[in-house]
Amino acid sequence: MSAQPETSTDTGLVRVSSEKISRLMDLVGELSLSVSETVHSPDLQGLDLASFDAAVHRLTMIVREVQDVATELRLVPMDDVFKRLRRMVRELERQTKKKIDLVIEGGDTAIDKLVADKLYDPLLHVLRNAADHGLEGTEERIAAGKGERGQIRLAASQVGSEVRIIVEDDGRGLARDKILAIARKRGFFGPEEEPEPSVLWRVIFEPGFSTAEVVSNLSGRGVGMDVLNATMVALRGRIAVDSTAGNGTRVSLFIPVSLAFLDCIILRLGATLFAVPIDVVSEIARPDREELMHVSADQNRELLKLRGTMIPIVRLDEFFNEATHGEGRKPVPPILVVFNTATGPIAIPVDEVLDRQQVVMKPLVGKLASVRASWGCALLGTGEVALVLDCERLAAGAAK
Amino acid sequence: MTEAAQLTEDALNAAAARGDAAFADADNVDDMYLTFALADEEYGVGIGVVTEIVGMQRIMSVPDMPHYVKGVINLRGKVIPLMDARLRFGMEERPYDDRTVVIVMDVADALIGLIVDGVSEVLEIPPSQVDAHGQFGKGGRSVISGIGKIGERVSILLDVQVLVSDSDISLPADML
Repeated sequence: MSAQPETSTDTGLVRVSSEKISRLMDLVGELSLSVSETVHSPDLQGLDLASFDAAVHRLTMIVREVQDVATELRLVPMDDVFKRLRRMVRELERQTKKKIDLVIEGGDTAIDKLVADKLYDPLLHVLRNAADHGLEGTEERIAAGKGERGQIRLAASQVGSEVRIIVEDDGRGLARDKILAIARKRGFFGPEEEPEPSVLWRVIFEPGFSTAEVVSNLSGRGVGMDVLNATMVALRGRIAVDSTAGNGTRVSLFIPVSLAFLDCIILRLGATLFAVPIDVVSEIARPDREELMHVSADQNRELLKLRGTMIPIVRLDEFFNEATHGEGRKPVPPILVVFNTATGPIAIPVDEVLDRQQVVMKPLVGKLASVRASWGCALLGTGEVALVLDCERLAAGAAK
Repeated sequence: MTEAAQLTEDALNAAAARGDAAFADADNVDDMYLTFALADEEYGVGIGVVTEIVGMQRIMSVPDMPHYVKGVINLRGKVIPLMDARLRFGMEERPYDDRTVVIVMDVADALIGLIVDGVSEVLEIPPSQVDAHGQFGKGGRSVISGIGKIGERVSILLDVQVLVSDSDISLPADML
Protein backbone atom coordinates (compact mmCIF):
# COMPACT_ATOMS: atom_id res chain seq x y z
CA MET A 1 0.00 0.00 0.00
CA SER A 2 2.86 2.37 0.80
CA ALA A 3 4.03 2.08 -2.78
CA GLN A 4 0.94 4.06 -3.79
CA PRO A 5 1.94 7.73 -4.21
CA GLU A 6 -0.35 9.91 -2.10
CA THR A 7 -0.85 12.36 -4.91
CA SER A 8 -2.46 9.72 -7.08
CA THR A 9 -5.72 10.90 -8.57
CA ASP A 10 -6.85 7.32 -8.81
CA THR A 11 -9.18 6.84 -5.84
CA GLY A 12 -9.08 3.09 -6.27
CA LEU A 13 -12.86 2.88 -6.63
CA VAL A 14 -14.43 0.40 -8.99
CA ARG A 15 -18.05 0.43 -9.98
CA VAL A 16 -19.54 -3.04 -9.72
CA SER A 17 -23.14 -3.94 -10.40
CA SER A 18 -25.02 -5.15 -7.34
CA GLU A 19 -26.07 -8.16 -9.40
CA LYS A 20 -22.45 -9.32 -9.58
CA ILE A 21 -22.07 -8.88 -5.85
CA SER A 22 -25.25 -10.87 -5.21
CA ARG A 23 -23.85 -13.62 -7.41
CA LEU A 24 -20.61 -13.54 -5.44
CA MET A 25 -22.55 -13.73 -2.17
CA ASP A 26 -24.48 -16.74 -3.46
CA LEU A 27 -21.25 -18.43 -4.51
CA VAL A 28 -19.64 -17.75 -1.15
CA GLY A 29 -22.68 -19.31 0.48
CA GLU A 30 -22.36 -22.36 -1.76
CA LEU A 31 -18.62 -22.49 -1.09
CA SER A 32 -19.06 -22.65 2.65
CA LEU A 33 -21.79 -25.26 2.28
CA SER A 34 -19.68 -27.46 0.09
CA VAL A 35 -16.64 -27.11 2.37
CA SER A 36 -18.85 -28.24 5.19
CA GLU A 37 -20.11 -31.15 3.10
CA THR A 38 -16.56 -32.23 2.28
CA VAL A 39 -15.40 -31.99 5.86
CA HIS A 40 -18.31 -34.06 7.11
CA SER A 41 -18.09 -36.65 4.36
CA PRO A 42 -18.76 -40.17 5.63
CA ASP A 43 -15.82 -41.40 3.51
CA LEU A 44 -13.48 -39.81 6.05
CA GLN A 45 -14.59 -42.06 8.87
CA GLY A 46 -11.88 -44.15 10.42
CA LEU A 47 -9.03 -42.34 8.68
CA ASP A 48 -6.12 -40.65 10.41
CA LEU A 49 -7.03 -37.01 10.01
CA ALA A 50 -4.40 -35.14 12.03
CA SER A 51 -2.99 -33.07 9.19
CA PHE A 52 -6.34 -33.02 7.43
CA ASP A 53 -7.93 -31.36 10.45
CA ALA A 54 -5.28 -28.67 10.51
CA ALA A 55 -5.88 -27.95 6.85
CA VAL A 56 -9.64 -27.91 7.41
CA HIS A 57 -9.17 -25.41 10.20
CA ARG A 58 -7.24 -23.08 7.91
CA LEU A 59 -9.77 -23.55 5.12
CA THR A 60 -12.69 -22.77 7.41
CA MET A 61 -10.96 -19.61 8.64
CA ILE A 62 -10.39 -18.45 5.10
CA VAL A 63 -13.96 -19.18 4.05
CA ARG A 64 -15.28 -17.22 7.00
CA GLU A 65 -13.04 -14.29 6.12
CA VAL A 66 -14.16 -14.40 2.49
CA GLN A 67 -17.73 -14.37 3.76
CA ASP A 68 -17.07 -11.28 5.88
CA VAL A 69 -15.35 -9.47 3.03
CA ALA A 70 -18.16 -10.36 0.63
CA THR A 71 -20.71 -8.98 3.07
CA GLU A 72 -18.71 -5.79 3.42
CA LEU A 73 -18.71 -5.35 -0.36
CA ARG A 74 -22.39 -4.68 -0.21
CA LEU A 75 -22.13 -2.07 2.51
CA VAL A 76 -22.55 1.54 1.44
CA PRO A 77 -22.42 4.71 3.53
CA MET A 78 -25.79 6.14 4.64
CA ASP A 79 -24.65 9.35 2.91
CA ASP A 80 -25.84 7.88 -0.38
CA VAL A 81 -29.40 8.04 0.92
CA PHE A 82 -28.93 11.25 2.91
CA LYS A 83 -27.67 13.19 -0.11
CA ARG A 84 -30.80 12.38 -2.06
CA LEU A 85 -32.89 13.39 0.95
CA ARG A 86 -31.03 16.70 1.25
CA ARG A 87 -32.12 17.58 -2.27
CA MET A 88 -35.70 16.71 -1.37
CA VAL A 89 -35.60 18.96 1.69
CA ARG A 90 -34.74 21.95 -0.53
CA GLU A 91 -37.73 21.01 -2.61
CA LEU A 92 -39.87 20.77 0.54
CA GLU A 93 -38.68 24.24 1.59
CA ARG A 94 -40.06 25.62 -1.63
CA GLN A 95 -43.34 23.74 -1.32
CA THR A 96 -44.04 24.55 2.31
CA LYS A 97 -42.51 28.06 2.20
CA LYS A 98 -40.80 27.23 5.49
CA LYS A 99 -37.14 27.80 6.25
CA ILE A 100 -35.55 24.48 7.08
CA ASP A 101 -32.04 23.66 8.27
CA LEU A 102 -31.20 20.04 7.67
CA VAL A 103 -28.49 18.71 9.97
CA ILE A 104 -26.98 15.42 8.89
CA GLU A 105 -24.92 13.26 11.24
CA GLY A 106 -23.28 9.88 10.85
CA GLY A 107 -23.36 9.86 7.05
CA ASP A 108 -20.45 7.42 7.04
CA THR A 109 -22.45 4.72 8.86
CA ALA A 110 -22.30 1.58 6.75
CA ILE A 111 -25.42 -0.27 5.69
CA ASP A 112 -26.30 -3.03 3.24
CA LYS A 113 -27.02 -1.58 -0.21
CA LEU A 114 -30.23 -3.60 -0.41
CA VAL A 115 -31.40 -2.04 2.84
CA ALA A 116 -30.26 1.45 1.87
CA ASP A 117 -32.26 1.28 -1.37
CA LYS A 118 -35.41 0.48 0.55
CA LEU A 119 -34.85 3.23 3.11
CA TYR A 120 -35.19 6.24 0.84
CA ASP A 121 -38.98 6.18 0.51
CA PRO A 122 -39.83 5.65 4.17
CA LEU A 123 -37.30 8.26 5.26
CA LEU A 124 -38.63 10.72 2.70
CA HIS A 125 -42.09 10.10 4.09
CA VAL A 126 -40.99 10.85 7.64
CA LEU A 127 -39.08 13.94 6.48
CA ARG A 128 -42.03 15.25 4.51
CA ASN A 129 -44.27 14.89 7.52
CA ALA A 130 -41.74 16.66 9.70
CA ALA A 131 -41.42 19.54 7.23
CA ASP A 132 -45.09 19.72 6.37
CA HIS A 133 -46.79 19.25 9.70
CA GLY A 134 -44.14 19.17 12.41
CA LEU A 135 -42.37 22.42 11.71
CA GLU A 136 -44.41 25.55 12.24
CA GLY A 137 -44.52 28.50 9.88
CA THR A 138 -42.11 31.38 10.49
CA GLU A 139 -44.60 33.54 12.39
CA GLU A 140 -45.79 30.73 14.60
CA ARG A 141 -42.19 29.86 15.44
CA ILE A 142 -41.35 33.43 16.41
CA ALA A 143 -44.52 33.66 18.51
CA ALA A 144 -43.47 30.45 20.29
CA GLY A 145 -40.08 31.97 21.05
CA LYS A 146 -38.19 29.68 18.65
CA GLY A 147 -35.69 30.57 15.99
CA GLU A 148 -37.07 31.57 12.62
CA ARG A 149 -35.59 28.57 10.87
CA GLY A 150 -36.95 25.12 11.62
CA GLN A 151 -34.45 22.36 12.17
CA ILE A 152 -34.59 18.74 11.09
CA ARG A 153 -31.86 16.42 12.29
CA LEU A 154 -31.11 13.31 10.28
CA ALA A 155 -28.69 11.10 12.17
CA ALA A 156 -27.40 7.58 11.62
CA SER A 157 -25.27 5.49 13.95
CA GLN A 158 -24.43 1.87 14.42
CA VAL A 159 -25.65 0.25 17.63
CA GLY A 160 -24.52 -3.36 17.82
CA SER A 161 -25.66 -5.14 14.67
CA GLU A 162 -28.30 -2.49 14.04
CA VAL A 163 -28.24 0.91 12.42
CA ARG A 164 -30.26 3.55 14.18
CA ILE A 165 -31.61 6.38 12.06
CA ILE A 166 -33.18 9.36 13.76
CA VAL A 167 -35.36 11.99 12.13
CA GLU A 168 -35.93 14.75 14.64
CA ASP A 169 -37.62 18.11 14.21
CA ASP A 170 -38.02 21.01 16.61
CA GLY A 171 -41.60 21.72 15.61
CA ARG A 172 -44.88 21.63 17.47
CA GLY A 173 -44.90 17.95 18.37
CA LEU A 174 -47.66 15.38 18.14
CA ALA A 175 -51.16 16.42 19.17
CA ARG A 176 -51.77 13.95 22.00
CA ASP A 177 -55.43 14.86 22.51
CA LYS A 178 -56.38 14.40 18.90
CA ILE A 179 -54.49 11.16 18.45
CA LEU A 180 -55.87 9.75 21.71
CA ALA A 181 -59.43 10.73 20.72
CA ILE A 182 -59.15 8.88 17.41
CA ALA A 183 -57.38 5.91 19.02
CA ARG A 184 -60.24 5.61 21.52
CA LYS A 185 -62.83 5.90 18.80
CA ARG A 186 -61.06 3.07 16.95
CA GLY A 187 -61.06 0.93 20.07
CA PHE A 188 -57.30 0.87 20.62
CA PHE A 189 -57.84 2.20 24.15
CA GLY A 190 -60.76 2.34 26.55
CA PRO A 191 -62.46 5.73 27.12
CA GLU A 192 -60.79 6.13 30.52
CA GLU A 193 -57.43 4.70 29.57
CA GLU A 194 -54.47 7.09 29.60
CA PRO A 195 -51.73 5.24 27.69
CA GLU A 196 -48.06 5.95 28.09
CA PRO A 197 -46.84 8.31 25.33
CA SER A 198 -44.63 5.62 23.75
CA VAL A 199 -47.62 3.25 23.64
CA LEU A 200 -49.95 5.92 22.28
CA TRP A 201 -47.60 7.00 19.49
CA ARG A 202 -47.38 3.43 18.31
CA VAL A 203 -51.03 3.45 17.18
CA ILE A 204 -50.27 5.87 14.37
CA PHE A 205 -48.54 2.95 12.63
CA GLU A 206 -51.59 0.74 12.87
CA PRO A 207 -53.14 0.01 9.51
CA GLY A 208 -56.53 1.62 9.37
CA PHE A 209 -55.54 4.44 11.66
CA SER A 210 -56.61 7.07 9.20
CA THR A 211 -53.83 9.57 9.01
CA ALA A 212 -56.05 12.11 7.34
CA GLU A 213 -57.82 12.71 10.62
CA VAL A 214 -54.68 13.32 12.60
CA VAL A 215 -53.76 16.96 12.33
CA SER A 216 -50.24 16.70 13.56
CA ASN A 217 -46.66 16.10 12.72
CA LEU A 218 -47.14 12.57 11.54
CA SER A 219 -50.25 12.92 9.48
CA GLY A 220 -49.45 12.01 5.94
CA ARG A 221 -50.41 12.96 2.50
CA GLY A 222 -50.22 10.21 -0.04
CA VAL A 223 -48.39 7.31 1.51
CA GLY A 224 -49.68 6.46 4.96
CA MET A 225 -47.70 5.76 8.08
CA ASP A 226 -48.72 2.13 7.84
CA VAL A 227 -46.71 1.86 4.62
CA LEU A 228 -43.65 2.97 6.55
CA ASN A 229 -44.51 0.28 9.04
CA ALA A 230 -44.75 -2.34 6.30
CA THR A 231 -41.29 -1.40 5.00
CA MET A 232 -39.90 -1.72 8.50
CA VAL A 233 -41.39 -5.19 8.85
CA ALA A 234 -39.82 -6.22 5.53
CA LEU A 235 -36.44 -4.92 6.71
CA ARG A 236 -36.83 -6.58 10.14
CA GLY A 237 -36.66 -3.13 11.68
CA ARG A 238 -38.40 -1.33 14.52
CA ILE A 239 -39.80 2.18 14.84
CA ALA A 240 -39.94 4.29 17.95
CA VAL A 241 -41.59 7.71 18.25
CA ASP A 242 -40.99 10.27 20.91
CA SER A 243 -42.68 13.63 21.05
CA THR A 244 -43.07 16.57 23.41
CA ALA A 245 -45.77 19.14 22.77
CA GLY A 246 -44.17 22.34 21.52
CA ASN A 247 -40.70 20.84 21.37
CA GLY A 248 -40.81 18.58 18.38
CA THR A 249 -40.94 14.94 17.41
CA ARG A 250 -38.32 12.27 17.10
CA VAL A 251 -38.80 9.21 14.93
CA SER A 252 -36.15 6.50 15.37
CA LEU A 253 -35.73 3.60 12.99
CA PHE A 254 -33.70 0.57 14.04
CA ILE A 255 -32.62 -1.63 11.14
CA PRO A 256 -30.23 -4.60 10.89
CA VAL A 257 -26.99 -3.68 9.08
CA SER A 258 -27.33 -6.58 6.66
CA LEU A 259 -30.24 -8.68 5.54
CA ALA A 260 -28.01 -11.40 4.16
CA PHE A 261 -26.58 -12.87 7.34
CA LEU A 262 -28.24 -13.31 10.67
CA ASP A 263 -26.88 -14.43 14.02
CA CYS A 264 -29.25 -17.20 15.09
CA ILE A 265 -29.71 -20.06 17.45
CA ILE A 266 -30.95 -23.24 15.82
CA LEU A 267 -33.83 -25.18 17.36
CA ARG A 268 -35.29 -28.55 16.49
CA LEU A 269 -38.90 -29.62 17.00
CA GLY A 270 -39.67 -33.06 15.63
CA ALA A 271 -38.04 -33.21 12.21
CA THR A 272 -38.27 -29.47 11.58
CA LEU A 273 -35.48 -27.00 12.17
CA PHE A 274 -36.13 -23.43 13.22
CA ALA A 275 -33.75 -20.50 13.56
CA VAL A 276 -34.32 -17.54 15.86
CA PRO A 277 -32.37 -14.26 15.85
CA ILE A 278 -30.13 -14.35 18.89
CA ASP A 279 -31.17 -10.93 20.18
CA VAL A 280 -34.79 -11.93 20.89
CA VAL A 281 -33.86 -14.95 23.01
CA SER A 282 -33.96 -14.04 26.67
CA GLU A 283 -33.53 -17.43 28.27
CA ILE A 284 -33.56 -21.18 27.76
CA ALA A 285 -35.30 -23.21 30.44
CA ARG A 286 -35.72 -26.89 31.23
CA PRO A 287 -38.80 -26.69 33.46
CA ASP A 288 -40.05 -29.29 35.94
CA ARG A 289 -43.57 -30.59 35.67
CA GLU A 290 -44.71 -28.27 38.50
CA GLU A 291 -43.57 -25.26 36.55
CA LEU A 292 -45.98 -25.95 33.72
CA MET A 293 -49.62 -24.96 33.98
CA HIS A 294 -52.56 -25.94 31.86
CA VAL A 295 -55.67 -23.73 31.74
CA SER A 296 -58.60 -25.63 30.27
CA ALA A 297 -60.91 -22.66 30.83
CA ASP A 298 -58.84 -20.53 28.46
CA GLN A 299 -58.72 -22.61 25.26
CA ASN A 300 -56.27 -25.07 26.79
CA ARG A 301 -53.68 -22.37 27.14
CA GLU A 302 -50.41 -23.53 28.67
CA LEU A 303 -48.21 -21.37 30.86
CA LEU A 304 -44.64 -21.53 32.07
CA LYS A 305 -43.99 -20.39 35.64
CA LEU A 306 -40.64 -18.69 35.60
CA ARG A 307 -39.48 -16.94 38.77
CA GLY A 308 -42.99 -15.84 39.66
CA THR A 309 -44.08 -14.65 36.21
CA MET A 310 -46.43 -16.59 33.98
CA ILE A 311 -45.29 -16.84 30.40
CA PRO A 312 -47.68 -18.11 27.73
CA ILE A 313 -46.41 -21.18 25.88
CA VAL A 314 -46.76 -21.18 22.11
CA ARG A 315 -46.50 -24.63 20.56
CA LEU A 316 -45.16 -24.30 17.05
CA ASP A 317 -46.90 -27.45 15.79
CA GLU A 318 -50.24 -26.07 16.99
CA PHE A 319 -49.53 -22.59 15.68
CA PHE A 320 -48.88 -24.07 12.26
CA ASN A 321 -51.99 -26.26 12.55
CA GLU A 322 -50.09 -29.52 12.50
CA ALA A 323 -51.21 -30.92 15.83
CA THR A 324 -54.34 -31.13 17.90
CA HIS A 325 -55.18 -28.81 20.75
CA GLY A 326 -56.60 -29.90 24.04
CA GLU A 327 -57.17 -33.53 24.95
CA GLY A 328 -54.75 -36.12 23.69
CA ARG A 329 -52.02 -33.61 22.87
CA LYS A 330 -48.46 -34.64 23.47
CA PRO A 331 -46.67 -33.51 26.63
CA VAL A 332 -44.74 -30.25 26.41
CA PRO A 333 -41.32 -30.91 24.83
CA PRO A 334 -38.47 -30.77 27.35
CA ILE A 335 -36.83 -27.44 26.51
CA LEU A 336 -38.53 -24.05 26.53
CA VAL A 337 -36.96 -21.09 24.81
CA VAL A 338 -38.21 -17.74 26.09
CA PHE A 339 -38.40 -14.84 23.66
CA ASN A 340 -38.91 -11.15 24.28
CA THR A 341 -41.57 -9.61 22.09
CA ALA A 342 -43.39 -6.28 22.03
CA THR A 343 -46.46 -8.03 23.45
CA GLY A 344 -44.52 -9.61 26.31
CA PRO A 345 -42.47 -12.79 26.62
CA ILE A 346 -43.53 -16.08 25.06
CA ALA A 347 -42.09 -19.55 25.61
CA ILE A 348 -41.62 -21.98 22.74
CA PRO A 349 -41.12 -25.66 23.49
CA VAL A 350 -38.52 -27.50 21.39
CA ASP A 351 -36.92 -30.92 21.46
CA GLU A 352 -33.37 -29.68 21.13
CA VAL A 353 -31.30 -26.51 20.99
CA LEU A 354 -28.59 -27.22 18.42
CA ASP A 355 -26.17 -24.35 18.25
CA ARG A 356 -25.60 -20.72 17.47
CA GLN A 357 -24.44 -19.74 14.02
CA GLN A 358 -24.36 -17.09 11.35
CA VAL A 359 -26.93 -18.17 8.80
CA VAL A 360 -27.42 -17.11 5.21
CA MET A 361 -30.92 -15.70 4.80
CA LYS A 362 -33.07 -16.53 1.80
CA PRO A 363 -36.43 -14.89 1.21
CA LEU A 364 -39.56 -17.03 1.08
CA VAL A 365 -40.76 -16.90 -2.51
CA GLY A 366 -43.38 -18.70 -4.54
CA LYS A 367 -45.07 -21.54 -2.70
CA LEU A 368 -43.17 -20.74 0.48
CA ALA A 369 -44.46 -17.16 0.66
CA SER A 370 -47.54 -18.35 2.54
CA VAL A 371 -45.59 -19.56 5.59
CA ARG A 372 -46.72 -17.43 8.49
CA ALA A 373 -44.57 -15.88 11.21
CA SER A 374 -41.31 -16.25 9.35
CA TRP A 375 -38.63 -13.89 8.05
CA GLY A 376 -37.31 -16.39 5.56
CA CYS A 377 -35.23 -19.52 5.23
CA ALA A 378 -31.85 -19.92 6.82
CA LEU A 379 -29.18 -21.99 5.12
CA LEU A 380 -27.12 -23.66 7.81
CA GLY A 381 -23.46 -24.58 7.54
CA THR A 382 -24.46 -28.22 7.27
CA GLY A 383 -26.53 -27.54 4.15
CA GLU A 384 -29.76 -27.94 6.08
CA VAL A 385 -32.58 -25.43 5.87
CA ALA A 386 -34.27 -23.88 8.89
CA LEU A 387 -37.23 -21.55 9.06
CA VAL A 388 -36.37 -18.22 10.68
CA LEU A 389 -39.13 -17.40 13.15
CA ASP A 390 -40.56 -13.92 13.52
CA CYS A 391 -41.34 -13.99 17.22
CA GLU A 392 -43.38 -10.78 17.10
CA ARG A 393 -45.86 -12.32 14.70
CA LEU A 394 -45.80 -15.61 16.60
CA ALA A 395 -46.74 -13.77 19.79
CA ALA A 396 -49.37 -11.66 18.05
CA GLY A 397 -50.88 -14.70 16.34
CA ALA A 398 -50.98 -16.71 19.54
CA ALA A 399 -52.69 -13.89 21.43
CA LYS A 400 -55.70 -14.03 19.12
CA MET B 1 -25.18 -39.51 -9.91
CA THR B 2 -28.16 -41.73 -9.33
CA GLU B 3 -29.50 -44.00 -11.98
CA ALA B 4 -32.60 -41.86 -12.35
CA ALA B 5 -30.60 -38.70 -12.82
CA GLN B 6 -28.45 -40.43 -15.42
CA LEU B 7 -31.54 -41.57 -17.31
CA THR B 8 -32.83 -38.06 -17.14
CA GLU B 9 -29.59 -36.63 -18.41
CA ASP B 10 -29.79 -39.00 -21.35
CA ALA B 11 -33.40 -38.04 -22.00
CA LEU B 12 -32.52 -34.35 -21.95
CA ASN B 13 -29.47 -34.80 -24.15
CA ALA B 14 -31.54 -36.72 -26.62
CA ALA B 15 -34.12 -33.97 -26.38
CA ALA B 16 -31.48 -31.32 -26.97
CA ALA B 17 -30.34 -33.16 -30.09
CA ARG B 18 -33.91 -33.43 -31.24
CA GLY B 19 -34.46 -29.83 -30.25
CA ASP B 20 -31.71 -28.72 -32.61
CA ALA B 21 -33.36 -30.65 -35.38
CA ALA B 22 -36.65 -29.06 -34.41
CA PHE B 23 -35.12 -25.62 -34.64
CA ALA B 24 -33.98 -26.43 -38.14
CA ASP B 25 -37.61 -27.11 -38.92
CA ALA B 26 -38.46 -23.68 -37.49
CA ASP B 27 -40.53 -25.23 -34.77
CA ASN B 28 -40.25 -23.86 -31.29
CA VAL B 29 -39.85 -24.90 -27.69
CA ASP B 30 -43.54 -24.22 -26.96
CA ASP B 31 -44.43 -27.53 -28.55
CA MET B 32 -41.90 -29.52 -26.50
CA TYR B 33 -43.09 -31.36 -23.44
CA LEU B 34 -41.26 -33.28 -20.75
CA THR B 35 -43.31 -36.35 -20.02
CA PHE B 36 -43.28 -38.25 -16.76
CA ALA B 37 -45.02 -41.17 -15.14
CA LEU B 38 -47.39 -41.24 -12.19
CA ALA B 39 -48.58 -44.79 -11.52
CA ASP B 40 -49.66 -45.96 -15.00
CA GLU B 41 -50.56 -42.50 -16.25
CA GLU B 42 -48.36 -40.27 -18.35
CA TYR B 43 -48.25 -36.54 -17.81
CA GLY B 44 -46.40 -33.72 -19.52
CA VAL B 45 -45.24 -30.20 -18.72
CA GLY B 46 -43.98 -27.61 -21.18
CA ILE B 47 -40.19 -27.88 -21.42
CA GLY B 48 -39.94 -24.08 -21.23
CA VAL B 49 -40.62 -24.00 -17.47
CA VAL B 50 -38.27 -26.87 -16.63
CA THR B 51 -34.90 -25.65 -15.37
CA GLU B 52 -33.39 -28.99 -14.42
CA ILE B 53 -34.10 -32.51 -13.27
CA VAL B 54 -32.41 -33.89 -10.18
CA GLY B 55 -32.49 -37.16 -8.30
CA MET B 56 -34.27 -37.30 -4.98
CA GLN B 57 -32.56 -35.15 -2.37
CA ARG B 58 -32.76 -34.94 1.36
CA ILE B 59 -36.06 -33.22 2.12
CA MET B 60 -36.27 -30.86 5.08
CA SER B 61 -39.73 -30.29 6.49
CA VAL B 62 -41.28 -26.84 6.58
CA PRO B 63 -44.42 -26.04 8.57
CA ASP B 64 -47.53 -24.23 7.34
CA MET B 65 -47.61 -25.91 3.92
CA PRO B 66 -50.34 -27.89 2.23
CA HIS B 67 -49.99 -31.67 2.76
CA TYR B 68 -48.74 -32.21 -0.79
CA VAL B 69 -45.73 -29.97 -0.22
CA LYS B 70 -43.26 -32.37 1.38
CA GLY B 71 -40.72 -29.76 2.42
CA VAL B 72 -37.74 -28.04 0.87
CA ILE B 73 -34.40 -29.05 -0.57
CA ASN B 74 -31.22 -27.06 -0.69
CA LEU B 75 -30.12 -27.22 -4.30
CA ARG B 76 -26.72 -25.53 -4.55
CA GLY B 77 -27.74 -22.79 -2.16
CA LYS B 78 -31.26 -22.38 -3.50
CA VAL B 79 -34.14 -23.32 -1.24
CA ILE B 80 -36.76 -25.08 -3.34
CA PRO B 81 -40.13 -26.37 -2.12
CA LEU B 82 -41.04 -29.87 -3.31
CA MET B 83 -44.55 -30.82 -4.33
CA ASP B 84 -45.44 -34.49 -4.46
CA ALA B 85 -47.40 -34.89 -7.71
CA ARG B 86 -49.20 -38.02 -6.45
CA LEU B 87 -50.46 -36.21 -3.35
CA ARG B 88 -51.32 -33.12 -5.37
CA PHE B 89 -53.62 -35.22 -7.55
CA GLY B 90 -55.09 -37.15 -4.66
CA MET B 91 -53.34 -40.37 -5.70
CA GLU B 92 -51.96 -42.97 -3.36
CA GLU B 93 -48.61 -42.07 -1.76
CA ARG B 94 -45.69 -44.30 -2.61
CA PRO B 95 -42.22 -44.57 -1.09
CA TYR B 96 -39.54 -42.88 -3.16
CA ASP B 97 -37.14 -45.18 -5.02
CA ASP B 98 -34.12 -44.75 -7.26
CA ARG B 99 -36.31 -43.87 -10.24
CA THR B 100 -38.07 -41.08 -8.35
CA VAL B 101 -36.95 -37.70 -9.65
CA VAL B 102 -37.61 -34.05 -9.02
CA ILE B 103 -38.53 -31.84 -11.95
CA VAL B 104 -37.42 -28.33 -11.02
CA MET B 105 -39.59 -25.71 -12.67
CA ASP B 106 -39.51 -21.94 -12.79
CA VAL B 107 -43.10 -20.79 -12.44
CA ALA B 108 -43.83 -17.08 -12.03
CA ASP B 109 -40.19 -16.36 -11.14
CA ALA B 110 -40.10 -18.88 -8.31
CA LEU B 111 -38.57 -22.34 -8.36
CA ILE B 112 -40.63 -25.34 -7.38
CA GLY B 113 -39.81 -29.03 -7.58
CA LEU B 114 -42.31 -31.66 -8.66
CA ILE B 115 -41.73 -35.18 -7.31
CA VAL B 116 -42.71 -37.76 -9.94
CA ASP B 117 -42.31 -41.53 -10.29
CA GLY B 118 -39.85 -41.07 -13.15
CA VAL B 119 -39.34 -38.99 -16.26
CA SER B 120 -39.98 -40.57 -19.64
CA GLU B 121 -38.76 -38.36 -22.44
CA VAL B 122 -39.10 -35.04 -24.18
CA LEU B 123 -41.73 -35.08 -26.90
CA GLU B 124 -42.68 -32.63 -29.55
CA ILE B 125 -46.45 -32.35 -29.64
CA PRO B 126 -47.72 -29.78 -32.17
CA PRO B 127 -50.89 -27.88 -31.20
CA SER B 128 -52.85 -29.83 -33.82
CA GLN B 129 -52.20 -33.00 -31.82
CA VAL B 130 -53.42 -31.46 -28.56
CA ASP B 131 -57.02 -31.91 -27.62
CA ALA B 132 -57.74 -28.83 -25.51
CA HIS B 133 -61.49 -28.69 -25.08
CA GLY B 134 -62.34 -27.80 -21.52
CA GLN B 135 -64.00 -30.93 -20.23
CA PHE B 136 -61.78 -31.12 -17.16
CA GLY B 137 -62.09 -29.33 -13.88
CA LYS B 138 -65.37 -28.55 -12.22
CA GLY B 139 -65.64 -24.81 -12.77
CA GLY B 140 -62.62 -22.53 -12.68
CA ARG B 141 -59.44 -23.19 -14.56
CA SER B 142 -58.39 -26.80 -14.98
CA VAL B 143 -54.95 -28.09 -14.09
CA ILE B 144 -55.08 -29.92 -17.41
CA SER B 145 -54.33 -27.76 -20.40
CA GLY B 146 -55.01 -30.51 -22.89
CA ILE B 147 -54.47 -34.10 -23.95
CA GLY B 148 -51.52 -34.65 -26.24
CA LYS B 149 -51.63 -37.54 -28.73
CA ILE B 150 -48.54 -39.00 -30.30
CA GLY B 151 -49.44 -42.05 -32.33
CA GLU B 152 -50.88 -44.53 -29.87
CA ARG B 153 -49.59 -42.66 -26.85
CA VAL B 154 -51.56 -40.18 -24.81
CA SER B 155 -50.02 -37.63 -22.51
CA ILE B 156 -51.97 -35.45 -20.08
CA LEU B 157 -50.54 -31.94 -20.39
CA LEU B 158 -50.53 -29.84 -17.23
CA ASP B 159 -51.08 -26.14 -16.68
CA VAL B 160 -48.22 -25.46 -14.26
CA GLN B 161 -49.69 -22.15 -13.10
CA VAL B 162 -52.74 -24.00 -11.78
CA LEU B 163 -50.56 -26.86 -10.56
CA VAL B 164 -48.56 -24.64 -8.21
CA SER B 165 -51.53 -22.55 -7.12
CA ASP B 166 -53.46 -23.38 -3.96
CA SER B 167 -56.63 -24.24 -5.81
CA ASP B 168 -58.25 -27.60 -5.28
CA ILE B 169 -57.62 -29.77 -8.29
CA SER B 170 -59.05 -33.13 -7.36
CA LEU B 171 -59.43 -34.93 -10.64
CA PRO B 172 -62.43 -36.98 -11.62
CA ALA B 173 -61.55 -40.60 -10.87
CA ASP B 174 -62.80 -41.89 -14.21
CA MET B 175 -60.82 -39.40 -16.20
CA LEU B 176 -59.27 -41.72 -18.70
